[in-house]
Amino acid sequence: MSLTVPTRKPPTTTESVFSVSGLWKVFGPRPERVPEDPALATLTPAELRSRTGCTAAVRDVSFDVRKGEVFVVMGLSGSGKSTLVRCLTRLIEPTAGTIAIDGEDVRAMDKARLRELRRHRAAMVFQHFGLLPHRTVLDNVAYGLEIQGVGKSERRERAAEFVAKVGLEGMEKRRPGQLSGGQRQRVGLARALAVDPEVLLFDEPFSALDPLIRRDMQDEVTRLHREEGRTMVFITHDLTEALKLGDRIALMRDGQVVQLGTPEEIVGDPADDYVREFVRDVPREQVMTARRAMRPLSSDDTETGPAIRPEATVAEAIEAVARAGEPARVMDKGRCLGVVDPEQLLGVVAGVDAPAAGEAAAGTRAARTAPVPRKAASRRRGRAPQPPAGTAPEAV
Amino acid sequence: MATLTVPTPGTGKPRVLRSRAAGKLLLLALLTAVLLPLLDRWGNGSWPHALTVHLDRPLTTASDWVIDNRDSHPLFLYFFGYVSNAVIWAVRAVYLTLLAAGWAGVTAFAALLAWRVAGVRLAAGTAVAFLACGVLGMWVPTMQTLALMAVAVLASVVVGALLGLAAGLSDRLDRALRPVLDTMQVLPAFAYLLPVVLVFGIGVPAAVLATVVYAAPPMARLTALGLRGADPEVLEAVESLGATRRQRLLTARIPLARKELLLGLNQTIMMALSMAVIAAVIGAGGLGDRVYQALASVDVGAALAAGIPIVLLAVVLDRVTAAAGDGTTRPRTIGWPYALAVTVAVALATRLLGASDWPGGWTLGIAEPVNRAVDWMTAHLYSGVPVVGGTADWAGHFTTWVLDPVRDGLQWLPWWSVLLVVAALAWLIGTWRTALTAVLAMAAIGVLGVWEPSLDTLSQVLAAVAVTLVLGFATGIAAARSDRVERALRPVLDVFQTMPQFVYLIPVVALFGVGRAPAVAAAVVYALPAVVRITAQGLRQVDQAALESARSLGATGRQQLWQVQLPLARRALLLAVNQGVVLVLAVVIIGGLVGGGALGYDVAFGLAQGDLATGLVAGAAIVCLGLMLDRVTQPTERRAKKGA
Repeated sequence: MSLTVPTRKPPTTTESVFSVSGLWKVFGPRPERVPEDPALATLTPAELRSRTGCTAAVRDVSFDVRKGEVFVVMGLSGSGKSTLVRCLTRLIEPTAGTIAIDGEDVRAMDKARLRELRRHRAAMVFQHFGLLPHRTVLDNVAYGLEIQGVGKSERRERAAEFVAKVGLEGMEKRRPGQLSGGQRQRVGLARALAVDPEVLLFDEPFSALDPLIRRDMQDEVTRLHREEGRTMVFITHDLTEALKLGDRIALMRDGQVVQLGTPEEIVGDPADDYVREFVRDVPREQVMTARRAMRPLSSDDTETGPAIRPEATVAEAIEAVARAGEPARVMDKGRCLGVVDPEQLLGVVAGVDAPAAGEAAAGTRAARTAPVPRKAASRRRGRAPQPPAGTAPEAV
Repeated sequence: MATLTVPTPGTGKPRVLRSRAAGKLLLLALLTAVLLPLLDRWGNGSWPHALTVHLDRPLTTASDWVIDNRDSHPLFLYFFGYVSNAVIWAVRAVYLTLLAAGWAGVTAFAALLAWRVAGVRLAAGTAVAFLACGVLGMWVPTMQTLALMAVAVLASVVVGALLGLAAGLSDRLDRALRPVLDTMQVLPAFAYLLPVVLVFGIGVPAAVLATVVYAAPPMARLTALGLRGADPEVLEAVESLGATRRQRLLTARIPLARKELLLGLNQTIMMALSMAVIAAVIGAGGLGDRVYQALASVDVGAALAAGIPIVLLAVVLDRVTAAAGDGTTRPRTIGWPYALAVTVAVALATRLLGASDWPGGWTLGIAEPVNRAVDWMTAHLYSGVPVVGGTADWAGHFTTWVLDPVRDGLQWLPWWSVLLVVAALAWLIGTWRTALTAVLAMAAIGVLGVWEPSLDTLSQVLAAVAVTLVLGFATGIAAARSDRVERALRPVLDVFQTMPQFVYLIPVVALFGVGRAPAVAAAVVYALPAVVRITAQGLRQVDQAALESARSLGATGRQQLWQVQLPLARRALLLAVNQGVVLVLAVVIIGGLVGGGALGYDVAFGLAQGDLATGLVAGAAIVCLGLMLDRVTQPTERRAKKGA
């Protein structure tokens, strides 16, 4: 994993880093019986609690995290997303199911192997930063390397590099208590990056930050991802954040994944009423793409009109159409795929467009077992929507 | 009594039974009604003779056996003997080092140390305090006390930190240790003296070991607390980076517990000083011994001359260790090597000048003038002051009108009704477990055959607690409601809370002479600061939103106090009562040295006469009394999780 990849390659491979299937985490007395017994496994959370005293934080979850993608797990508090991410490196021991990292069974690892995984392959960024208050910024960033047994001068040198990378030059000697929330999280981020992990795990890293700082940090993550192409698993309860960062999003409710798909699929084809309610206030023109809005080329279309890429957002298409005063052509590698006219665009914004054939099923529960990637996911980096606060799930 | 008239509950529950408290009382009343005929055959007066076990003879035998075998039995030769020798050797080494450093060396080192950890102002204060000890002519006793303390603190910290480490890392050990440490914390210092004397005899080893036993628990408790209180997300982050258990302990848990560890050190030092002074009774020597001797001959001047250095030491030690622990970063002052070098240089310089002992001409005899002042007070203030009466009159009135009736009342009560009252109180405030412990502890006092003196002590405790609570709650409420009062009180409370118990006996003897009333007065003064502080803090920490909403509804100050602050601060108030009781008991017991009589006197008498049996029985009764009083006042929430 080189640190100098100049631009980010879209995840073209289907090679998965994490492969999770049938994962359960049940808290309570004798938790192992719940996944084993189909009668118990299908109970609602309230029934399960009254029958067994157990709480299923993660229920039969399966997904793959592909190399180089940002995989967002999104859900409200209590939906089990934080438990889920902790199960990946067994900070919380799963009850049932399998987890594999690069094909290696995580649940079968012994202590030493597991430490190896945590030291070198997956590093985590925490909601409340988890910094050591008695150490300087530099020593906090170097801490992961210290745990690995890297010598003092070498780890400080490497740590200084990452302190600079997250924009904290000149603050090496400060202590976490002297930093603002955003700066502390930068330290947390640098600490995770410093061990050069294969995967970065983020557990609601920005929810304790002010909105403006949060946006800065999201941009920072986007930038790092573009520069390094590192695989990321990102936990959040903020739909805007999920849509902004995620290549694919797994939406969780009561420990289950209710929908897994690209942001466009989640917003365009909600799997059920819960998801629909969830994404209702999302500014659709910022998420949906021209590819989805276009209609096939018909005989009476002219060869004129502006050309736009299929990944362009509907908002961009609207602007192009409005400026030109005529329908725009969706062009990919010199070939015209279709046409967007005002009618199509309005339909998408209003949410009355019929999903294109074959796309409807892609993002539903059927996608639980490694869905086929939908061509290239939309690339909206850097100009993702900044919708009003009303779209944040807390306010829904 | 209203609950007793309630008709037997049928299917529909009478309203009164829905209240838990009433239910508990009713159950107790029923129990008594059933048991009373059985209990009746042991009479209705004092603790029945038939239920007493006389431990005097076996204890005397045991003590004789220990004395006979101290020089021959392998247990003593190969274990206690070594412990004892090591203690003597260590104390002597420290003492000789201090003497070799001379007064200038010690003062310089202490000041540099204070400068290093706590800044310039405390350094100056430290130097002044040490010089004051010399000026009062107490240099050598101060060094003796310091030497004993240094060894005891070191041992306490090692023992306490190890126990705390074990309890911090293992849940099972924590569950096992916590009730023991909690209980040790509430027992009066006097109770620790006799068992060590039994094994080691009167002398420095016994004093050091009693101090260690007394001072180690706070270190253990706070170490465990610090290790357990670490931010779970930090520990999770550390684990997520692949740290081993050892790495987690050394790089995260122990550094994160720094504040608690230093607080533990502070408390251990303060308790060690307190005990090192009291341990004068069992041969600790030093400042405590001077106070003890002076009090025995009611020589207030001499007692004060030794008491002031104790207070100065206490304040300096407390401020310096507290400053080290408060975590604020200071500019670098002086490195350890330099501090040591300067100390050695100063010590050598004074030695070469031949002035390493405190110069005789520099002392200031305060004993004489103080005694003259006390004599004047005795002559003019003791009695016959117009309108207000005299201090001795007050003490006499207090004894006649409060202490005597309470004591006689308690002793008049049938023994079983005392147990019943204890059970009812403990159960209402705590759980059935605490009630059971309290009743068993009280019954044990009867079985030990010291029912009467224990009730005497209890009456003094009750009177002192009542006075303390009235004064303490009033002051605490005032401090909570007015910032000015709080600011004015803070330095006073700070000083009073750091002074060792023993010191409080000096002024009360000066004011009130000897007897039970002075003992009660000393107890009140000793317990008051803690009660005031807990009350004020509890009231101030009441949820501001609740208070604000009450104000927004137009509540008057009085309504806010009675309807919002006091009910919401209930836990703090109960804690204040609990602390008040524990602290009062500790001093009432020590009051035995100034004519308080009862259990404290038995212990002192036992020690003085070599009659360990009497002393040990009284000591055991003190333990039981402390246990009972603590459990009776233990709020439910705190105890419920831990069991009695």
